[in-house]
Amino acid sequence: MNELTVTHVDDEVLARLVDSAPPTSAVLTDDHRRSLTARFRAVPDPAHRRLDAWSVETAGRAPSDFRWTPAAARRTLATAALRRMLPTPGLTLVGSVTQALDAQVARAQTGQARAGSLAVWLDTLGSAARGLVVAEAVGWAGAVLEVARGLEAPWNVAASDAYYDVAGARTTLRGRRDLEVARGDGLVVVRLRAGSPGTTAGAGLRVDLAVLALADSRGVAPSRVIGWWPEAGVVLAVDGSMEGVRAGARDLVRAAVVTRRHRLHLAA
Amino acid sequence: MPTATLLPPDSVLDALRGDRAARPARDTTSAATYRATLEQRIGDVLVGVPADTRVVLTAASLRRSAQTRDLHDSTRGRLRGALVSVLLRLHVVGTPLGSAFDDALTAWCAEGPSSDLLTHWESLDDDERARLATDVTAHHVTLARALGEVPDEWSARTAQRASLRLAGGRVVLRDTVDLVIGSVHADVAGVVLFDVTTSPLGDGAERALRYHALVETLRTSVVPLRSAVFSSATGELWLREVDSDMLARAVDEVVAAVSEECGPR
Repeated sequence: MNELTVTHVDDEVLARLVDSAPPTSAVLTDDHRRSLTARFRAVPDPAHRRLDAWSVETAGRAPSDFRWTPAAARRTLATAALRRMLPTPGLTLVGSVTQALDAQVARAQTGQARAGSLAVWLDTLGSAARGLVVAEAVGWAGAVLEVARGLEAPWNVAASDAYYDVAGARTTLRGRRDLEVARGDGLVVVRLRAGSPGTTAGAGLRVDLAVLALADSRGVAPSRVIGWWPEAGVVLAVDGSMEGVRAGARDLVRAAVVTRRHRLHLAA
Repeated sequence: MPTATLLPPDSVLDALRGDRAARPARDTTSAATYRATLEQRIGDVLVGVPADTRVVLTAASLRRSAQTRDLHDSTRGRLRGALVSVLLRLHVVGTPLGSAFDDALTAWCAEGPSSDLLTHWESLDDDERARLATDVTAHHVTLARALGEVPDEWSARTAQRASLRLAGGRVVLRDTVDLVIGSVHADVAGVVLFDVTTSPLGDGAERALRYHALVETLRTSVVPLRSAVFSSATGELWLREVDSDMLARAVDEVVAAVSEECGPR
């Protein structure tokens, strides 16, 4: 099945979606990976391209000029903070976010961070602006915790997003993940999103599904990927079927085509 | 009517927390009814309205009535409100401040503020900037004294946003609550919504207070415990326990606001 489940948030929705996730999911073979590599290599691009769900949701449009803001920084800091706080009794959310921010600043000050990175931006900020970054990150971390509190199954905060480099195609794919929930031998992945889901949100979730499967060393897709929009009170979910993985991969290749077309148009 | 109080310093948090033992059971079933009622009544309002009409409501839409213009509506008032909101956020996470106004301005600029407010700020002369600075500082002093220190353990969230679509996306309810405390997963009703206005409290503030409660109910499907609004102009706090009467009234007000937006102009 390649269906998209859409539902309003209630306090048991996540537990229900985890419990009802299919017991098995798609497994990618070397043939699948080779086929995907061939498709990306057929769309050569002079620059190294980075594609993710957002590239697909925005139909491969070139991103507008990115600048760091507290809102842009919150997810990275909140994730780092939750991973510090959860195993440390007595550490508060504000304290753990502050520690995570200080760790980033220390990286910048010891020359470990590259230009344009979050760490370098944070290092340029004064105390008040850093305070606002902390407030944003605490809000995001609080939202993640609120989601996780609705779970009965064991869960953990994902250490990082999933990345997959398509060999020989100068292409890096990213699959976002915020929470990982154990489901039998498999995994259900939850990602939180700001704003409201648009008409392409389902396609975005399938991209995450495909990249998560590609990034897994055994090629196993999550049983289900759940997108949670706390501001909209809406939850979307896609199952880890082969159809879903294929749809996600197809959309990534399409995004690569559009991105390339856009670059060529700019160069002309 | 809400409980209206002029509180001594450091006691707003006590009022928001209230008596823990007296909290009602968590209501996880009513939200679907309010959502269905809104969908039906807004659907009725939209009959005959061009299909491409989009209505976006915010607390500000509910705060102002057709006859009155709130201090919030002026660009200067909105700029002041934005800076006081930033100061609230910094206060909640315990950021030490040097000059409240300068720090608020620095943090606000890092946030990537709206272009109309930024343009307004840039258009002010030195005298106007000095007046704004003293105004914002006075609001901050009132707010900080009333709020006291917010315990880190509360994991208070600031500037919590909501954006709910109704009637197939033709109506959007947007909201930002300045401070949210508590969890929807507590055993009893536990979420408290706290809004700050730089205007004196009036009927509009009461409508906004109900709007926050309704949007939070629809967003989480759990009815919050309390909704409160604090005026940093007067130091007054209005506090309301959220109940079915309040939410039903909020539904009426939202439907009326949609009707007003769609009506002849």
